Amino acid sequence: MLQRFLKPSVLAAISGLELVARTVVDGFVAGLHRSPDFGFSQDFAEYQAYTPGDDLRHVDWNVYARSERMYLKRYRGETNSPLTILLDASNSMQFGSHGVNKMDYARFLSASLFYLALHGQRDAAGLITFDDEIRNYIRPSTRQGQLHRLLAGLEQAEARARTDFSKPARYFQEFLKRRGIVLIVSDFWESPQSVIHTLEPLRLNGNEVVLFHVLDPEDVRPSLNGPSILVDMETQEQIETTPDFAKKEYRDRVDAHLTDLRDRTKAAGMGYCLLMTDRPLDDALREYLTLRGGRN
Amino acid sequence: MGLFAPWFLAALAGLSLPVYLHLLKRQTSKPKQVSSLMLYESRTQASTRHRSLRYFILLSLRLAMLLLLIVAFANPFINRDAATFSSNRLVLLVIDNSFSMRAGTRLADAKEAAMTVLSGKGAARGQVAVFGSQLQLMTQAIEDQAALRAAVQSVQPGDGHGNFGELARAIRSLADSVHTPIELHFFSDMQRSSLAGNFSDMALPANVKLVTHAVVTKAQPNWTVESVDAPGQVWGKDAKPVHARAVIAGFGTPAATRNASLVVNGKTTAAKTVAVPANGRATVDFAALEVPYGFNRCEVKIDSADAFPADDVRRFAVQRSDPQKALLIHNYGDSRSPLYIGAALSAAAQSAFLLESINVNEAADRQPSNYAFIILSDLNTIPPLLENSLTGYVRSGGSLFIAAGTSAGARLQIPIFGARIAETRDYSRVPDRFMAVGSSDSSYAAVAKAEGWTGVKFFYALAVDPGDARVIVRLSDQTPLLLEKRIGEGRVVLLTSGLDNLTNDFPLNPAFVPFIEQTARYLAGSQRQGGARVVDAYLELRNAREQGQGVEISGPDGKRALTLSQAATAQSFQLTEAGYYQVRLADGRQNLVGVNPDSKESNLDVIPDEVMALWQGRNAQATQEASGAAVSEKTRQSLWWYVMLLVFAAALAESVLASRYLGTQREES
Repeated sequence: MLQRFLKPSVLAAISGLELVARTVVDGFVAGLHRSPDFGFSQDFAEYQAYTPGDDLRHVDWNVYARSERMYLKRYRGETNSPLTILLDASNSMQFGSHGVNKMDYARFLSASLFYLALHGQRDAAGLITFDDEIRNYIRPSTRQGQLHRLLAGLEQAEARARTDFSKPARYFQEFLKRRGIVLIVSDFWESPQSVIHTLEPLRLNGNEVVLFHVLDPEDVRPSLNGPSILVDMETQEQIETTPDFAKKEYRDRVDAHLTDLRDRTKAAGMGYCLLMTDRPLDDALREYLTLRGGRN
Repeated sequence: MGLFAPWFLAALAGLSLPVYLHLLKRQTSKPKQVSSLMLYESRTQASTRHRSLRYFILLSLRLAMLLLLIVAFANPFINRDAATFSSNRLVLLVIDNSFSMRAGTRLADAKEAAMTVLSGKGAARGQVAVFGSQLQLMTQAIEDQAALRAAVQSVQPGDGHGNFGELARAIRSLADSVHTPIELHFFSDMQRSSLAGNFSDMALPANVKLVTHAVVTKAQPNWTVESVDAPGQVWGKDAKPVHARAVIAGFGTPAATRNASLVVNGKTTAAKTVAVPANGRATVDFAALEVPYGFNRCEVKIDSADAFPADDVRRFAVQRSDPQKALLIHNYGDSRSPLYIGAALSAAAQSAFLLESINVNEAADRQPSNYAFIILSDLNTIPPLLENSLTGYVRSGGSLFIAAGTSAGARLQIPIFGARIAETRDYSRVPDRFMAVGSSDSSYAAVAKAEGWTGVKFFYALAVDPGDARVIVRLSDQTPLLLEKRIGEGRVVLLTSGLDNLTNDFPLNPAFVPFIEQTARYLAGSQRQGGARVVDAYLELRNAREQGQGVEISGPDGKRALTLSQAATAQSFQLTEAGYYQVRLADGRQNLVGVNPDSKESNLDVIPDEVMALWQGRNAQATQEASGAAVSEKTRQSLWWYVMLLVFAAALAESVLASRYLGTQREES
């Protein structure tokens, strides 16, 4: 049996995103308990009385033969929810204080979700990578080979430039015409208000929007051995600060930032999931399946 | 204030290391990348000031610790007034009790002077010692006046010979263990003969102040019996009369006639008058020293005419005994070696030995212990029974002389002696057709009296492995020729050539007779019998440490001089008193020894004042060099311990501060 929750540092040693995704998802699914809320799309759900205009292909003719009444046979998951992942590929995603940086973690996360969507749920899956521009777009699809295209897109997503949600956001509407599940994977080093303001239209457009907030432990609890010069990876700006500040005030500020972002996200009807890069990916998968179940 | 080892201050350059490291550490702050500075604030000035302060304290502590450590190694001292140290001062009273202090009232005067010093020493600690030939402490360093006075009163005259070099050595050793100033009061007759050969041997440490109390100020005339030359042993009833020769010496004396008498067992057997020149010596001969059988206590006396009558007598012991038997074992058909050895013994040893010659086949039924020594002359075979009995004989104290010629060369090993025969060397084939003696040990009487065997030609010798044996004579090619080895209580002498005039021409050489005579005396132990010794000489009691046979010594007072444990284990015994010692050695032999004080003690000439001033002045000068000024009243006190305590305190504070800082780092990580 595959280990259920593999550490990101272990995944980093696996070559190939497909293998990573398969390892994560298979391990995750094998560990799940069967539940009415979670299942595969061909499971029987209920009978529904036929009304004129319904598709005759769904009529249960066996029941009609016994009772001379026409019923439609309904299944779970018969509706498709296209999954689109908006992957932040800015420079700040390159930060990592241990074996896996945030970009790698985001890749593993995206690959796992793609695998689960395409192979498990048979949903269409697509990818948009962006920084301060749209860098790559792969249309959601269930076609054969889609997984490989998505994984290739993830491989090609190199961190550069800086995060700016406002500029690419106006293109999101164009690419996401069909309602579905939209997952934004980023470290969200922007003001929560700006982030919500930029992404709220996606929700208003009928999408299920979830923010996967990927952070390195060092982003939350930085350790300084002494007064240090800090360099912003995106802007190259430098400041000098002290361990005392990093130990007290900074932590308070980060906590306030995270709380603010979570509250505003919830208030906007969007999902929020904080992922630390030293933790397994199961929280993200569970979040996705919860969303997927809620749409059935 | 000063430093005992100022060159350690060169290590102060090492202080720059922590300074450099601290500065380096402050300047090597590498920029650190973060995802975003969105939530950070600049805190440069306030934080750096705080950090500098904390690092400054840490740096200061580290510098202080290193500085103090260097100072501790430099060993600082302060000069303190000796007066403030009166309680720490040690007043050491050394009373000379050498033999010359028996003259007149010298010892009593010395004691009286010591009492006077004791009365004025104040609260300082005192210690009493006597110095004869060695320094002997009578008390510990105490303040109890009564105990110190009792110790002074208990000082008895001795018979040793004083040497001020030995006194200075003992004081130097004492000063190493006593770190307080020592005031050394030396009460002596300040004999010139007690001066050390090298004046530097008498140097005293810097913390010792020497005060001499001479009980006499000028030389006193003294006559003495300086030496007596008489045999320690005479043999047989009809032995030729032996004579004794005495030397009468006068030190600082005018020309005079002295009456000398020879006393045997308390009876005057001869008396002579001898004219002693002014400050000179005269010899007196006693032509016939008639002594009865056994050990006899003899002495030569002169009539007492000076203030030092104790040195007017010189003791010696003479033993009269029957001639001792010696056994010569030779090969069947060998008639040469009995001839030469017998002739040599009878010619030289005044009928001391009766030589019995037998061939090896007749030797089995002989009892070796009946003979004073045994000679094995070039035996090709030795019956095992004989070899075992000879080995036991040697181990129990017997003596053996082995001559190994051509017949013995056929063996692999010298019997009893145990040396392996490496090869036989036939020198008749070398260009000179013989080999001469190359080197010889002149301290060995049998060789020294035979003039080192010069001119003796050796044609054949055995090259043996000497092992732990003493090599006395070597041939020119370094072949060991004469060796001696101690086995148990006995001794074996090996000649690696023959005594038969075939393998060498030794028996025909003039050196042969004295060699045989001295070897016979040596092996029979006659040399150690009787005679006279000097006080402080050592008497050899046994050869082998493992031998359990006890020895017995009766001192001049008739009491046993050794405890039971000493009697079972002591290797030697020091003759500390003048008189007659009766000794029973570990090998069972009895002996009587006359012991006399060193004749140097009879010369009552005193050390000149300038020499005494030099002895004391050099000491004062050394103190002056060390303290700088006002010297004799100053003493140096080391501050090493105090500095080390400060080092410890600084190290503790540094550890606490550093661990606090490191603890913060751990919490942050």
